[in-house]
Amino acid sequence: MSKIVEIKKLLFDYIRRDEEGNVEGITTAVDNVSLTISQGDFVAILGHNGSGKSTLAKHLNAILYPTEGTVLVDGKDTSEEDNIWEVRQAASMVFQNPDNQIIGQIVEEDVGFGPENLGVPTPMIWERVEKALKAVNMYQFRSKSPNRLSGGQKQRVSIAGVLAMQPKCIVLDEPTAMLDPSGREEVIEAIRELNKKENITIILITHNMEETIYADKIYVMDEGKIAMEGTPREIFSEVEKLKSLRLNVPQATMLAYELKKAGVPLPDGILTKEELICHLS
Amino acid sequence: MFKDMTLGQYYPIDSPIHRLDARSKFVGTVIYIVSVFMVNNYIGYLIAIAALLTFIAISRVPIKFMVKGMKSIVVLMIFAGLFNLFLVQGEVVWSWWILSITKEGIDTAIKMVLRLALLIMGSSIMTLTTTPTSLTDGLESLFKPLNVIKIPVHEIAMMMTIALRFIPILTEEMDKIMKAQMARGVDFEAKGLIKKAKSMIPLLVPLFISAFRRANDLAMAMEARCYRGGKGRTKMKPLKYHWNDAVAFLIMCGYLALCIIFGRGVLE
Repeated sequence: MSKIVEIKKLLFDYIRRDEEGNVEGITTAVDNVSLTISQGDFVAILGHNGSGKSTLAKHLNAILYPTEGTVLVDGKDTSEEDNIWEVRQAASMVFQNPDNQIIGQIVEEDVGFGPENLGVPTPMIWERVEKALKAVNMYQFRSKSPNRLSGGQKQRVSIAGVLAMQPKCIVLDEPTAMLDPSGREEVIEAIRELNKKENITIILITHNMEETIYADKIYVMDEGKIAMEGTPREIFSEVEKLKSLRLNVPQATMLAYELKKAGVPLPDGILTKEELICHLS
Repeated sequence: MFKDMTLGQYYPIDSPIHRLDARSKFVGTVIYIVSVFMVNNYIGYLIAIAALLTFIAISRVPIKFMVKGMKSIVVLMIFAGLFNLFLVQGEVVWSWWILSITKEGIDTAIKMVLRLALLIMGSSIMTLTTTPTSLTDGLESLFKPLNVIKIPVHEIAMMMTIALRFIPILTEEMDKIMKAQMARGVDFEAKGLIKKAKSMIPLLVPLFISAFRRANDLAMAMEARCYRGGKGRTKMKPLKYHWNDAVAFLIMCGYLALCIIFGRGVLE
């Protein structure tokens, strides 16, 4: 499988300056991170606040440039100015606050914004918009105002908005942080569909463990470094280590872990309620 | 408090006027405004009123929506009417103490009030029948020639679009901040101008901070979606003139000619 994202020894410093522009302090947000993601993968990047996961995500979209190291998206170096637009089209980004990333006043106009910027001819824009809205199951809302939608629906419109740019990879930076539980489910469901049906690479940045159990691979970040990596089952087997990184494991995993400690014979890394019930009965 | 604020007052219905190109409607409105300023006798006003009523009928927007738009200028109309009524010099028909009404006063007062009413109703036909988006698109394309003198027409239109999109969001946020500050004891009902102005500070500061934060986020989201100004951009809903726009132009030209011939006392 081809590599869509290749990060080599990425290092990024936030430089704080005082009013005269003198350097006051340097915070290393991402520290010597290397990873590769193949086309079609569903990758989750976990970490608590300030672990550098969002900073890492912004590198994939050429919003931030590496201080040291290189980031290749679809084989193109993000730090080269000529590549910016190709990189941004190949790896589109969905942000946290749905209100602050919807530009159009009608759902379909917002979804058309990306293709308009790319200079796609008018009839093709309509095709893309229709396809993107259908993919996230929002087609029936196409002529509504975004202000009338729920948080989960707005976030699905945002996903359709990047989908219409026909990216190979979608980076989602905590897309569910501002949503209620049902909105979360809607969004995660939509993401999984895209990954499975359209074979789009998904990079999900989150601090919610429940959302990562369907991922092919999880990277756990702490203080700018990759602290753990593996499949969800491998990661969630190490409950103690996750706790030390200030992350909460999913409820079912936690329960299984406590039961096992108390002497109930259970395998490591149980992820869902159903699995737990299956093993217990 | 902010619920009744209608900026995008679009009335969603299908009518021949709704289907017109935004640019035709804009030019038509300008022609109408010019005609209202041009006519100076009652035949002219009758023509203008008849035209307005016909346009309203064609647009199928209920008249009560038009009248609603007048509310904001009722005070202005009353003032303009009264000033003209009492201050215009001429042949006195009625007087009491220092007030006197003249024949010329009545004449100008009626014309002034009519003129204001026609202006507001005439331009509200445009805003009621055009979505804000197509209106900004129309303005962008009409003012495109200004690019030559380095006026960033596309950018201004984009700013208008974004402003329209964020008005309801910021209104909601303002409501929230107000409630939060009221819970902490800020008195927004305070009497007196200075006190009232002071009570606005705890409202405006957080609102501005949040607006800047939103602007920052939005700029990032727009860049992430490859926005790079108007160059090389295509349109999802391009504006196109149809045969009905030509008809509308002809009708407006005919109307203007009528106003010039009968409304300016050329034949008298």
